[in-house]
Amino acid sequence: MMRRSKRKTGQTSDWMRLLPFFLFCLAFEVVPILFLMHGSVIDKTTSQFTLQHYLDVNRPLYINSFLNSIKLSGITAIVGVIFGTFIGYAIYRWPSKRVQHILITLSDVTTNFAGAPLAFAFVVILGMNGIITQFLLQYFHYELYPTFSIYSFSGLIVAYIYFQLPLMVLLILPAFAGIKKEWRESAQSLGANTFQFWRYIGIPVLTPSLIAGVTLLFANAFGAYATAYTLVQAKLSIVTLQIGYMIAGEIRKDPGVGMAMAVLSLVIMGLSIGIYQAATIRARRWSKS
Amino acid sequence: MSYLELKNVSKFYSGVVAVQDFNLEIDKGSLVSFLGPSGCGKTTTLRMIAGFGRLDEGTILLDGEDITDVPPNRRDIGMVFQAYALFPNMTVQGNIGFGLLMKKTPKKEIKKKVDHVLELVRLQDTAKRFPHQLSGGQQQRIALARALAVQPRVLLLDEPLSALDAEVRVVLRGEIRRIQSELAITTVYVTHDQEEALSISDKVVVMNKGVIEQVGIPEEIYRAPKTHFVATFIGTANQFLGKVSGTNTVMCNHFHLLVDDLKGFNEGQRAVVLVRPETIQVQPDPPERKGWNIIPGEVETITFHGAVTRLGVNIYGQRVAADITVAHTKSISLNQKIWLLFSPDACQVMAVDEE
Amino acid sequence: MKHPQKPVRETDTKIRPTGWQILCIALFLFYMLLPIVSTYAFSVATRWDRTILPEGYTLEFYIRAFQTSYFTITLRNSLILSVATIVVSLIVIVPTVYWVHTRLIGLKPWLDVLMILPFGIPTVVLALALVQVYNFPPIARSPILLIGAVVVYSMPFMYRPVSNALQAIDALTLTEAGQILGANVFQVLSKIIIPNILPGILSGTLLVFSTVFAEYTLTSLIVGAGFKTFPLLLVEYTRINGNIAAAFSVVSFTIAWLFSILILWGGSKGQNASAETIQAR
Repeated sequence: MMRRSKRKTGQTSDWMRLLPFFLFCLAFEVVPILFLMHGSVIDKTTSQFTLQHYLDVNRPLYINSFLNSIKLSGITAIVGVIFGTFIGYAIYRWPSKRVQHILITLSDVTTNFAGAPLAFAFVVILGMNGIITQFLLQYFHYELYPTFSIYSFSGLIVAYIYFQLPLMVLLILPAFAGIKKEWRESAQSLGANTFQFWRYIGIPVLTPSLIAGVTLLFANAFGAYATAYTLVQAKLSIVTLQIGYMIAGEIRKDPGVGMAMAVLSLVIMGLSIGIYQAATIRARRWSKS
Repeated sequence: MSYLELKNVSKFYSGVVAVQDFNLEIDKGSLVSFLGPSGCGKTTTLRMIAGFGRLDEGTILLDGEDITDVPPNRRDIGMVFQAYALFPNMTVQGNIGFGLLMKKTPKKEIKKKVDHVLELVRLQDTAKRFPHQLSGGQQQRIALARALAVQPRVLLLDEPLSALDAEVRVVLRGEIRRIQSELAITTVYVTHDQEEALSISDKVVVMNKGVIEQVGIPEEIYRAPKTHFVATFIGTANQFLGKVSGTNTVMCNHFHLLVDDLKGFNEGQRAVVLVRPETIQVQPDPPERKGWNIIPGEVETITFHGAVTRLGVNIYGQRVAADITVAHTKSISLNQKIWLLFSPDACQVMAVDEE
Repeated sequence: MKHPQKPVRETDTKIRPTGWQILCIALFLFYMLLPIVSTYAFSVATRWDRTILPEGYTLEFYIRAFQTSYFTITLRNSLILSVATIVVSLIVIVPTVYWVHTRLIGLKPWLDVLMILPFGIPTVVLALALVQVYNFPPIARSPILLIGAVVVYSMPFMYRPVSNALQAIDALTLTEAGQILGANVFQVLSKIIIPNILPGILSGTLLVFSTVFAEYTLTSLIVGAGFKTFPLLLVEYTRINGNIAAAFSVVSFTIAWLFSILILWGGSKGQNASAETIQAR
């Protein structure tokens, strides 16, 4: 765009117009988060700086919740990325544009289904009297329970993957589209077969998107609450549930630990999103060249 | 002797003819251009040589071997694409060495060959950079280097310069020609830019609507077009309609033209005489030149084109273009009555297309 | 030279999907659709705990569901919450994005980052922070606080479509054209800009609506029973009566479908909805 002759932009009046927005963000985002960070290092009774709250997080219950959250998010992220990539490729190469469109729409809808209705749906199919449970019992004489329970860690994995998969599909499709036909032809004219193309060019170019996928799915799972609340509640301890309990009841007891955990969560999420952004920028740069 | 040969090659796309009955023999070490407007089939044909696009009819022979059904990664043919297509995840070195890597060349040798070919395209210090750090012109030279590193039997270029600025284009096409003749590599070059084709080719193949209109050396294509399409596609040409009369005259409405070659024309046959603007001289006073064509007219437009000035002259209602040098321009003004002067051998006579 | 036109053949073969593609997609569809289909079926099943298919069918549970005391109240509350969020979002975000696009273009990257922020804050953390800060009446645990929280949560969903739309119409150039012709800022906004970004605004509105309508975490943690919305009712019934919970789930799913279709139908007028979901994240 041509530089226009000296325009009066950036004046005070312009910044004033942004005031409502800034105030809103300040009130509902910035101040609360700062308050959290502040509260996590202040002793409520003495108003002194302290790291005790963070040390308190080291208790088994809280440490376990972090480990569980990280495991859950990590597993569902990796499984989601692997299968999501293959499914995404299958969709990308599907000859009918109409079918592609339908599948993309489906992914769009199902990735937003996380929450109580989804959890409940899984109870219907994999609960103690669930459809698949019955099916395995009647046709394969295999008792799913008690080895597996939908109200457990593995149950959560199955439920989480439901909305992780389509998210990866939606993310990887543009990445496949970004692999230019000319690269393939170029590689072929230089003597590469299909395997060599993917190994030296295809997958390396996809890698930033794959990393973006892992981090996005990780963050997505880490922050999820409602699905877990409906399925496991007290049976399994994950970070979001723990913080939830603290809001609901025990806040008066010791808000410090809750805030410390919240801040730690923010750090973990921040890292994930940060890596996601960096990976996405790299992916976009390559697909533009 | 012919190194690359296309025999009766045809390709159709659901109801449309892309290429029809294409026959061509290309000598070893020569640079042949496929020239024509968009959609004429030049890129389709090139891609068939490369192996991207099955032939519906015909065969392709390379060094005597039938490669029609050989997959593209085994044809030993190098290709440079319009959009460079450099692999973004590899450095310049990685890109250029890729073909050698596919051939399982040992690392040391790859490095040697890469350095050698980088020298050839004069971009030695870009070895460790990534494609996105280079300019368009540099990327294209790297793409060329990459295609040449494996020393292919044939080099194909698909409108390699269309994505570049005008100035870069002129420089780069000279570079491509220099490298091509230095390596004496058989090359096919697709372009829609006639100046490009005429300036660097050993032979030019003019195509239109899937068919070859004419094959010849650049001079021949320019001075002796065989079809109406070639005559009007290459350069500008004034067209005078008339009827053949006698052995050296074409009678137009208000004047007659003396021409050189009327072989193959019958008395009274309708014909069009093509005269290129640069062959027409302009005189302010009626000139005396025996045997030449002298026609009076009025200057309607004067357009400055840098090296030449183009006059639009009204000749009995028809606008005729005549190019004059800048020095001469000073004596010509609008609405001035002048005389056009051109020799019979500047006239190219063609049969009228009964479309 | 003229060549006789040979009769033209159909030579491009219709490409078919490969076996593994079909298998992949079939498994994908199975995984995606089974829970949903099962929920629909469960909501009309009389008894389904011993067999693979329901033993009988009935609409009894829907009738009971619609008759529960809180049904209309929660639907109404959800509606209020969604509409309020949309209104606040529109007022806060649309002008802001416009000012940044036209007068403070340097801020755009920062605004983009700011709009990614809500995704980096887990809803429980946001809830905890807000409840801690605003623990004084009248805001404490009030619907007002909830609306604030939900607007923050849904900001990216409104921001992306509107920002894309402004970029697509080159808002800056249009504004200048309008100003040269004598319009003041508000006229430009109301007569030129907004009419041209309506698809984007619509897309954002629908996205926000469907996201907020299904929102559970913030609602239950900030206000809880004080302002019961539909998702809260649903969770409650998962512990009371599964069949009725299923009926509620069906309502929830169906509303989600409807909105997705609306979004895509509106989005087909120029924007790619799925790309927005990803971009919004």
